[in-house]
This record gives sequence, C-alpha cells and structure tokens, in this order.
Amino acid sequence: MDACAGKYPILILATEDCSYPGANSVGQAHQNYPDNTYIIRTPTPALFPEKFYLDCFAKGVGGIIIMSCGVECPYEGAYPALAKRVNGIYALMKKQGLDIRRLRPTAICTVCNRAFIKEVNLMNQVVAELGAPGSEARAA
Amino acid sequence: MSKLNNGQEPPKIGVYVCHCGGNISDHVDVASVVEQAGGLANVTVARDNSFMCSDPGQELIIEDITSGKVNRIVVASCAPALHETTFRGAIALAGMNPYLYEHANIREQVSWVHHGPGATGKATALVAAAVGKAGELEALEPIRVEAEAHATVLGGGVAGMSAARDLAAQGLRVALVEKSPFLGGQVAQLDKTFPSGEAAGEVLSALAAQVLADQRITVYTCAELSEYSGYVGSFKIKIRRTAPSGADLERLALVKDAQPGTFVPCVGVAAGPGPGEAEEVALVSGAIVLATGFEHYTPPMGEYGYGQMPEVITLPELIRLMADESATGEQLVVNGKTINNLALIHCVGSRQIPGVHQPGPDGKLNQHCSRVCCTATLQAACELREKFPETNVFELYRDIRTYGRGHEDYYLNAGRSGVIFARFTPEAPPVVTQGGEDSALTVTVPDKLLAGQELAIGVDLVVLAVGMEPRDNQALVEKMKLPVGADRFLLEVHPKLRPVELPAAGIYLAGACQAPMDTAEAANAAGAAAAKAGAILSAGFVELDPFVAEVDESKCVGSGACVQACLADEAIEMVDTPASKRARVNPALCMGCGVCVAACEQGAIELSGWTLGQYEAMVDAIVAQALRQGA
Repeated sequence: MDACAGKYPILILATEDCSYPGANSVGQAHQNYPDNTYIIRTPTPALFPEKFYLDCFAKGVGGIIIMSCGVECPYEGAYPALAKRVNGIYALMKKQGLDIRRLRPTAICTVCNRAFIKEVNLMNQVVAELGAPGSEARAA
Repeated sequence: MSKLNNGQEPPKIGVYVCHCGGNISDHVDVASVVEQAGGLANVTVARDNSFMCSDPGQELIIEDITSGKVNRIVVASCAPALHETTFRGAIALAGMNPYLYEHANIREQVSWVHHGPGATGKATALVAAAVGKAGELEALEPIRVEAEAHATVLGGGVAGMSAARDLAAQGLRVALVEKSPFLGGQVAQLDKTFPSGEAAGEVLSALAAQVLADQRITVYTCAELSEYSGYVGSFKIKIRRTAPSGADLERLALVKDAQPGTFVPCVGVAAGPGPGEAEEVALVSGAIVLATGFEHYTPPMGEYGYGQMPEVITLPELIRLMADESATGEQLVVNGKTINNLALIHCVGSRQIPGVHQPGPDGKLNQHCSRVCCTATLQAACELREKFPETNVFELYRDIRTYGRGHEDYYLNAGRSGVIFARFTPEAPPVVTQGGEDSALTVTVPDKLLAGQELAIGVDLVVLAVGMEPRDNQALVEKMKLPVGADRFLLEVHPKLRPVELPAAGIYLAGACQAPMDTAEAANAAGAAAAKAGAILSAGFVELDPFVAEVDESKCVGSGACVQACLADEAIEMVDTPASKRARVNPALCMGCGVCVAACEQGAIELSGWTLGQYEAMVDAIVAQALRQGA
C-alpha cells in the first residue's frame, strides 16, 4: 500500500445483496488488497444524502467507492435515483474544490472479485496522488 | 419478545472477538483488538473466544446480558450472512431485544485479505465502527401483519401448477391464474421430457389432475392480473377473465365434451370452457407466486435461412413433427420430402455477442446461455437416429453444455449412434444456402475440430436449437414494480441466499420466468417458492424485518419529497394531522431501500436499523482509528 494513501481511509459503501457479499467473495479467495479500505454495509447507497459524502471528506475520508448492484439492483428504481444523486454530489464537490475522482460509483456483483480489487487499487492511486481530502482546493 | 434491555438505558456495550480457530487469530492480534475495544466509550465488557458461534461462545454473551453487564452486543467474527442470525438468537434467548446487535466482519474482510499489523489495525477500526453504531442502536420490533391463508399463482405451466399443488398441500387456498384456456405452458409443446424420457403429456396430465381435483385450488383460465395493491399477508388483486376467441376456441373444440383434464398434444390440459363473457374476480391473497414462464426465441427472417427457406425449422417444430405417431420409417419425412441428412445448429438466439450478433427488435441481445437446449438437441438427435436410422444427423455446436444429471448420457449416446459433430465459433457460424448436389440445402461451416477446415454438408432439413427468452411481462412488471435483470428475466434478491424471493415481501419466483431452466428445475423452484410462501402464511400473521422507513413527525414539514422518491406505491402517504400534512409510512409496504432518506432535506425520515446517525458514528470511528494508525 502506498504510504501516503494509507493515511486516508477509503470508505466503501457496499450493498448487502451484491457488493458486500462480493467483498466477502474476495476474502474467500484470499486475494489481498490495501488495508486502508473500510466496507460499510447498506441496503442501497441511494439512502445517503449529499451531505453525508461531503461530511465524510471533511472528516478525513480520502475516497469513497459506491459499490452498488448496478442494473441488477433488487430495488427497482434505486439505481437511477443513485445515479442522479451522484451527479448532484459531484457538483457540490466541485464547488468545494474537491476532486471528483475521490467519489467513484461502480457496480460490483457477488462474485466480481477482480473488479472489486481493481476499483480499490484505482481509488488508492487517486488518494495517493491527491493526498489529504481538500488539499487540492488549497493547492488550487 | 422480551422487553429486557429495550434500548432505553445508557449503552453498556459488550464486544466479543472471535479467533475462528486460527482463521482470524493467525493474522489478527486478537488480544490487542480486545484490549483496544475495552477502552472505547460505552464498552463495559470485551472478550475473545476460539469460536464465538459455538455454545460456549454464545454462553459468554448470554451470561453478560443476564448479569446486567451489557445491553448492546458487538461480535467481531466472520461474514454477517453466516452468523448474524445465530447471535441475534442468542441475544433473544437472554431476553434482550435482538436488534441491539452489530456485527464486525473481521474474517472475510480482514484476516483473509490482510496480514500483519495492518490486519490488526483494520480489525480494531471495524470493531470501533461497530461499537460506534451499537451506541446508536434502538430496540426494534418485527412488523406483524395479519396474513390471509390464500396464495395467488400467476401462470399455469409446470412451475405454476407445482406451486399451486404444494401450497394447497400446506392447507392454503390457492388461485391459479392462467392466460390461456389450457394448463401446461411450454411443456405441452414437448414430446418426451429428459432425462427420464417420460411423455410430457403424461407428466402434465398427472399434475393437472392433482390441481383440478384439489378443492382448495381455484383455476382461473383465460385470465390476467388487472389490478394489484397491498402487501404481504394482504395483497388485493383483481383478475380479468375474457371469453376465449379465435385460435383458443378452435383448440377448445378439440377437447371432447369440453372435459377438464383432457390433454391435447402441443396445446395443454383443458381446464374448462372458460368464461362465457368477460368478468372480473377480486381476491385477497397473503402471497403471490410468479410462474409466468418463458418464450422460445423466434429467429428473425433470414437467420440461417429461417423464414426464407421452408427446409429451415426450429427445434420445437421438429419435436412436434416427431411427436406425430405416424412419423415412422427408415428416414424422416417432412412435408412429403425424405430427409437423408439433417443438421441441428446450436445456440440460436442464445449466448449472443455484441458486435457479432444482430440485436432483436427491442435492441437487446440474448447474451445468456439457455442451458437446456444442448440436452434437448441431443435428445432429438438420439431420437432421430433411433426412429429413422437412415437419416444422417449433423450437430453443429459452439460448446456442448449437458450440465444436469443424466444429460451427458445423451451426448455419449448421440456419438455412439452415429451423430456427426462439428464445432464452430460465433465469428464463423454455419452458413445455410439453398441447393446442393443431392440435397435441398448446403450448410458450410469451418470445423474447429478439424483445425478450421471448411465443411460443406448437403442437408434436406436444418433445425435451429432456439434459446429461451423472457416472456413479455412488461405490464406485470410495471404494475407490480418487479425487478428485472440485465437479461430481462425477473430478478431474485440473491441467487444463493434468497433465490426465489423478490425484495417486496410475500412475492416469489417459480420456474423459467426467472432464468432458463428445465422442467425438473422449474418444479424444484416452484417447490421452494411454495415452501417460502407457506412458511409465512401458515401462522395467520407475518413478522417482517423491522428495517423500514420511519418518520420523525417533529421534523417533518410535509414537503412530500419522500413520497415522490419512494419506489413502492403507497408505502409512504401524506396524512392530515392537527398541525399540517405529515408523511406516514406503511411498514408492510416499505421495501427498506432508504431512497426516501436521502430525499428529505429535513432529515425527518430514517431507515430503522440503518440510520444516518449510525452511519456517521461508524465513519467517525473509522476515521479516528485510521488516522491514529496512519499518523
């Protein structure tokens, strides 16, 4: 793990029907990934308002990966609602000078091991590059 | 449920860290995790055990609860899917509300993926997060709703009839709703079922006889769901029945004396004459089983010559031809023409690849494997060779997928009986052209088994092994807000953990409306759906998980944003209160998705058990631990 990225936790919002079991599947396969990742179980990430994300960054979370079920979402209509909300969060992040790469929506299924690890590594690279959340605004 | 420790007292949190043999403790310093957990706010007890899920492990929790040391529990162990229920059960056994519990996953998400100090640090942070959430937990009660001892099954094929029979066997009243005047669905189109070789007509007749004889089952043919509302335990349904007309009337005329139970080959089992005129039936059902089946892929004009060359037919058409009892002799004869050579082409309308295959009229490709067509095609090939030994059979395939018990025998028998196999790639599929040296058609294909050498086979009949497609259920999908997968089949909550359930409680899937499956698999799925539905209806009431939206009326300003955002009809409604309009949740209708939570600017609606405050506490704990470790 990159020493700089490791300082800043990466939050993974994982759906209990798809990506949370997907993360467990990575564990069952004993595949390693950086340990600054913290997976939080949720029925659907569509429940989080914009403020939740902005507060996370303000608290020191380096990056957030939204791992949803994508089009396989068991709650018909939740995925489009999430997509719309993410657009709104991006607008607010830009307003605050936060690099929008710190928030990445993705779809991870129950057996998407490779995709899970790819997303985690990608976010680690982003956090390593950007440093502390908000530092990009100060540098600008 | 006991009211002991109902969540109103100040939190006294017990933390229990599992070694899981060495699965966790080989990589996580459990003693260190326990020590640090013991120092967290509100933690009164921190312990470890070799196997927390064992009786001695659970006893630790029970003793600490009953002795008053703790009133909230955190267990750090394996994935919650494995033992969350176990620990909730232990807590309930101790007389405490089982929802005052939080789980930290430190095996699949820590010790199996991280090693060394990082693993211990992360386990410590996840325990801290769970403690943070536990401090915010409130006692919850399952939602109890009265349940009508009645189930409605939509679809009268094998899955629907099996589900209806199994539901009735549990003492429930059942409405079996079938669109056509006949029962049997697509299986009625078959001759013999694999792998037993039983006649499809006999299987259907036996099943339909059970259904029609059961006084608890009411069969509504010529019927469709027209209205739907309500929730598990009390779905309000209207069924619209229309008088049979056109082809249905002609088919009904084939039934002698309109006798229910009569099997008409390639049509189904008669279930009565149908209504004389249109009528509507109102039902109240505790559960609904969807068994709406599938459709065969219809090749578009020109695919392998289909629709342009009369010698190109589909596998279901061939099965119907072979089912004709008069079809005997050394060679197969179709429309007066002797078939010397016959080619069966696999994967038609299945496993379609973007950029290689043409999308259907809806712009979609069937990227799924239809699973059953390999065995069905091999079964037909074996039968052809057996009944018409002078008709040569060529099987042109991409892959052979004979996955079920006894299915591989068809492949072996086909090879032994002289069926000739050639393997093609999706990029270089067989090409069917008219005319040949001594044949009506020529099939040209580069054979992978011969290092790509091109074969030109003169044939008199080409049979396309068409795949299974989802039925056009759009009206039903919209009416009932059913989840649909990328493959357009109805989508279960989880393929392994909840394989026949939909997120809306009380609605179940049976058979090929969910995915391609064979007759036996459809009957199995129906049995599972019936068992699930029966289990929730047999008690006369239903207890639902309490993880549903809840409105804080003191914060609600009546904007209606939650109602607009809500994904389930009528789960939230605006009601008049002495102050003004306020949102109110119908817990039985709420799916627990939480979309309404994000929509409320006042933060007046929360998802019980998953509140924003609980999430924020988790994030605070994670950040505090992570920054401490990273510093």
